[in-house]
Amino acid sequence: MKRKEYAWAYLFISAPIVGFLLFAFIPLSYSVYVSFTEYSGYQAPVFTGTNNYAKLALHDELFWKTLFNTFYSALSIPIGMVVALGIAMSLNQKVRGIRFFRTMFFLPTISSVIALTLLWKWIFNDSYGLLNYLLELIGIQGPAWLSSETWAMPAMIIQGVWAGLGINMVLYLAALQGVPKSFHEAAEIDGASGWQRFVKITIPCISPTTLYILITSTITALQDFPRFQIMTEGGPNYSTTTIVYYLFQNAFRYMSMGYASAMAWALGLLILAITLLNFWLSKRWVHYE
Amino acid sequence: MRLGKGKSLLAVTASLTLLAGMTACGGNNGKEPSAGADSTAKSTAKSSASGSQAPGGDPVKIKFAGWGDPSEKEVFTKLIKDFEAKNPTIKVEYLHIPADYVGKMNTILAGGDAPDVFYVPDGDFGRWVSQGLLHPIQEFVDSSSIDTGDMWESGLLRYRYDGAVNGKGPLYALPKDIGPTVLYYNKEIFTKMNVPFPSADTPMTFEQLLDTAKKLTVEENGKIKQYGMGPIWWEGFVFGNGGAFLSDDRREFVGNGEAAVAALQFAADLANVHKVVPNAAALKDMNDSQMFQTGRLAMMITGRWMVPEFRKLGFDWDVAPLPVNKWAGWSGSVGIGIYSKTKQIEAAYKLVEYLGGPEGQKEQSLMGFAIPSFKSMAATEVFLQPGQKPEHAEVFINAAENQVPGPWTNLPNAKWFDMLSQGLAPMWDGKKSAADVLNGLKPKIDAAIKEGNPAIFK
Repeated sequence: MKRKEYAWAYLFISAPIVGFLLFAFIPLSYSVYVSFTEYSGYQAPVFTGTNNYAKLALHDELFWKTLFNTFYSALSIPIGMVVALGIAMSLNQKVRGIRFFRTMFFLPTISSVIALTLLWKWIFNDSYGLLNYLLELIGIQGPAWLSSETWAMPAMIIQGVWAGLGINMVLYLAALQGVPKSFHEAAEIDGASGWQRFVKITIPCISPTTLYILITSTITALQDFPRFQIMTEGGPNYSTTTIVYYLFQNAFRYMSMGYASAMAWALGLLILAITLLNFWLSKRWVHYE
Repeated sequence: MRLGKGKSLLAVTASLTLLAGMTACGGNNGKEPSAGADSTAKSTAKSSASGSQAPGGDPVKIKFAGWGDPSEKEVFTKLIKDFEAKNPTIKVEYLHIPADYVGKMNTILAGGDAPDVFYVPDGDFGRWVSQGLLHPIQEFVDSSSIDTGDMWESGLLRYRYDGAVNGKGPLYALPKDIGPTVLYYNKEIFTKMNVPFPSADTPMTFEQLLDTAKKLTVEENGKIKQYGMGPIWWEGFVFGNGGAFLSDDRREFVGNGEAAVAALQFAADLANVHKVVPNAAALKDMNDSQMFQTGRLAMMITGRWMVPEFRKLGFDWDVAPLPVNKWAGWSGSVGIGIYSKTKQIEAAYKLVEYLGGPEGQKEQSLMGFAIPSFKSMAATEVFLQPGQKPEHAEVFINAAENQVPGPWTNLPNAKWFDMLSQGLAPMWDGKKSAADVLNGLKPKIDAAIKEGNPAIFK
């Protein structure tokens, strides 16, 4: 009787496991193998040892440039978190029409990436764009955002901050509402100022959310590329080619699936290392109740 | 005990799955022979081309994939219906891929079960043909009714492959269309500013272009309200000045030669020094055709494919040769090819012949997007479409005669070209001279040619 139950149990458990093996584990393992081969994606792979990894580390300037670009673009994470928290705090109040404002700020999150990037292309247009028009009103001559090697990445960071705002804001809003009122009341009685209460009570109480946002946005940022493909095509002069964009080009445009797999694994290990580091560091600043 | 049992069951499931996965991979690897298939395919092509019709009885089914806007889809649906009526033994399944066609086809082709006939953009032809994904069609073409002597040489050229480079050797696809690039101009702006229209017979020289563009540029309070000329399609400028990008054997980058450097420097100066062209690298910032449509550009370069869109414009416009000293430039094209592993080669070729042949070309030309593949047809009302813009449609005919495929189609691996177009940025910004930029790029581009295209160095 019992045996039979176990059999059934394992049968049910096997569904997700089979799914994982079939659609994640086996392809992943295969890509490890492919990363040690010369593989066009159409013909059978030819084993070449560690050639791909050696090329990656030693002979490909573009790999390092795109890696740098990726971390540069990740500047949008700290900036985005600060802005999202600021907006969440101002939306965490009992004002008329608060739902309307919350909806407004969340709207970009549910819109299509393509539509948004096309919109931002217009905002960044140097002669007729909204951004340069506003800058001109305060007497600043704005740059040719997307076609300047210097300004293309800052433009993409601004766009990235804006695009990630909605979801981070909602997460912070939920966290802020979970901060016990009694803490604030007690501190107020003891004479703590608003700033003190924010630093000593609010920030520690929402720190698990901060960690969650940090880790998920780091992973997303390191894998980001569709908006770069649409807005700048990686240019000018590769200044906005991120590592995943370069990987994509190698895999599907230059027929170097093997090399692209090596790149993917290098990136994967890097993301793993950063995430572990984040967890380890988090012990010092994240407080769980 | 319990745990042990659980483990073994898991192990069984796991190993079963692994086995399934391995057989799947094995099946995948089975597609390997297609590389060597060229020679065998050729011989089968020969035997079957001269051979018999598909045997009677059940109709043969083939799949056909392409993209295109709704009007193109409509035309192809109609063409296929007509094709089926003329070939009752063949049924065609039309697979319309509206977005990211190349990305999706890459996946389908890698999976090893692609449609029998599909669109092959000339920029992707080299990659696909070098991977043995296309069936040679030279012998079919030779023994069929298609008159290649009446077709644009440059339209056919780009679908040839000799095992190392594109542009030589047997045919692997027929052009579905070919789109020459020309100069479009807003006639109303010219009339208003009292500037004579550009000639439809003789291309402007660089000096004449600069002169005309200066007259058409309007500045107000230090801000340019109207540009004389649109963003420069620089590849054509290099060709027009007698320059080239690759050596004849395609092994070397020669874009740092004198003629190419001078042409590119002129193109950059149009924006940076003379300020008659919007920020030259700014093609991406604002679509140039949108600027043209809103009257902010007096002249612009683009291909034949913009004609249906521009016909909706409220102002009068016309076309002139590319202003690059002589008849030159590049034309875009999409081909129709056959999957190398098709089981219905004869039926597949029949469809290619029909779509690339006179009947298919006529219907497509009427849409206005492209010039027909056949010279004799281009000279008729089918293409010239009197009464419709542009008035001087024959400019496209001259352009098709003289223009070459884009340089990115020259080698199977186009990384060298990406490096070139990305690397020109400091020149467009006016930070470096064309000579410095191109000389600096040469060793890197040479390395990319060599690494990406080993077949030409054998």
